[in-house]
Amino acid sequence: MVFSGTETLFYLLGILTTLIIMVLIKYNKQFKFSALSWSLLGLGSFLLLFCIAWSVSSVLEGVPRASSMGLVVFGIPSILLLLFGRKIALKKK
Amino acid sequence: MTNKKTDNSNAINRRNFLKLGAAGAAIGAVTLPAKAKESVVKKIDEKTAGNFIKTHDDFPHEVRDDYKPHSNKDIMFTAGWWGTHPEATDVHESAKKFAEKTFMHFEEKKGFDQLSKSLNAGAWALHNKVSPMSSQAISGEGILKWDQYKKKEGEFLPHHDWVNSHQYKFSSKKTASDTIKRAARLYGASLVGITKRDKRWDYADFVDPHAIMEGRPEDAIYGWERFPFEPKSVIVMAFEMDYEAIATAPSDVEGAGAGTKYSEMTKVAYQLAIFLKQLGYQAVPCGNDTGLSIPYAIAAGLGEGSRMGNLITYKYGPRVRLAKVYTDFDFVEYDKPIEFGAMDFCKNCMRCADACPGKAISFEKEPTFEPAYDGAWYNAKGVKKYYMDAKKCFHTWSEFGTDCGSCMASCPYNKPDFWHHRLVDKITAAMPGPVHNFMREMDILFGYGDVGNPEKIDVFYNPEGRSYNGH
Repeated sequence: MVFSGTETLFYLLGILTTLIIMVLIKYNKQFKFSALSWSLLGLGSFLLLFCIAWSVSSVLEGVPRASSMGLVVFGIPSILLLLFGRKIALKKK
Repeated sequence: MTNKKTDNSNAINRRNFLKLGAAGAAIGAVTLPAKAKESVVKKIDEKTAGNFIKTHDDFPHEVRDDYKPHSNKDIMFTAGWWGTHPEATDVHESAKKFAEKTFMHFEEKKGFDQLSKSLNAGAWALHNKVSPMSSQAISGEGILKWDQYKKKEGEFLPHHDWVNSHQYKFSSKKTASDTIKRAARLYGASLVGITKRDKRWDYADFVDPHAIMEGRPEDAIYGWERFPFEPKSVIVMAFEMDYEAIATAPSDVEGAGAGTKYSEMTKVAYQLAIFLKQLGYQAVPCGNDTGLSIPYAIAAGLGEGSRMGNLITYKYGPRVRLAKVYTDFDFVEYDKPIEFGAMDFCKNCMRCADACPGKAISFEKEPTFEPAYDGAWYNAKGVKKYYMDAKKCFHTWSEFGTDCGSCMASCPYNKPDFWHHRLVDKITAAMPGPVHNFMREMDILFGYGDVGNPEKIDVFYNPEGRSYNGH
């Protein structure tokens, strides 16, 4: 194995972070996000990335329950924040 | 036309952005010097953890004026196996039962079967062969002997277990400390700290099992006058135990996790003592013997005390074993005791007390100077801490026929070396007491620290994700 599971995870997270930033910049040009939208979408994106990092790391360390809990505790709030941020951004337009 | 031009310009910019980003990342990854990466990581660590780790100038636990150094006679193992407390018949019974069950008797039960007993026996083998009683707190046994032989002119002693007549001089105290710690790490220690010798933490006297076996009970107890030199410093080492082995507690696989490090710490303490002897200084390697390892480890800045009575280290939690080297070398920079919130967390957590099968761990909210139970000749009283009932603990060991380890396995500070646990530790240290209750509940909900779970033995043996052939 060239890379460990954690190394691969963080490499992929780096790519995902870049993509999320690009998507946010792209849609900001189109919809001109308010400060609230930025906050919600930023926090939601961060939580989403953290959820993926936590859950995959928990699987790698062999504690699947921690992974499932990670999806519940960090994943659900992140989706709610992203949806709410999107709603506000669209409403503003 | 103008619009089209603008669109193209945007598209090119995005492409350029991507290209530049990719090229920059590639160049950065290749050319960013290792030193710069290290300093960035160090900076992040300082910002997140540095502020939470406090140091103390003095021993961080209050010690009452009437505190007396603990006697070797009052250690549970010496009382159990060497009869230093003849009135404690229950302790003798437990020692006998433990000896019958350990290694020699196996059951069908998973974790206590022939496979697990054999694993445990192999783990302890080196310790049992070369320093058979240091884990029972008996001093000067096997290679951990107190001898400080001075080689005669022309004598050939390839084992190097003799004190060099020429003393090496270090350029500074810091260099000396760093060099000794580097040597200890090279030999196999996970953590190293150096502290001044403190008579409070030395055993008041020592038990000689040979005198007992040879029918000379009057010679069974001896004092520090037999120690070959006046120790000035104590080098304390912690050895990380295997996470998956300890997680199987209570079982012989857990015992194997502990035994592996007993064997290793015996080897490393001996090697470090030889290193010091060859530098021209006197040194005595010790396991559980000669002095109390936990207060020495606290004084040497390796970690904090805890409810379960074990040392809690910042990096490995309570999942460590401890060894010491007494030396007359004192041209060193001594370490300071540290605090990162473990004792504070213990006030609210109590997971170890809940998990303990023998109910030996205190549920008291605050640390005390005395244990809550009567007749505790085996506790070093007069230090403000949580008292663990070693007798109940020992009775539990005798039931299992191996050491238990449920307290370590259940502790929220006992986690494998993954980034998210280090992050949680840092957040926990920064949070006030009431949040600790929440952290404890989350630890349970997330599935950590359950004990007596036979599935953990399958996880220990599972070859998935492991490479035994090196590729």
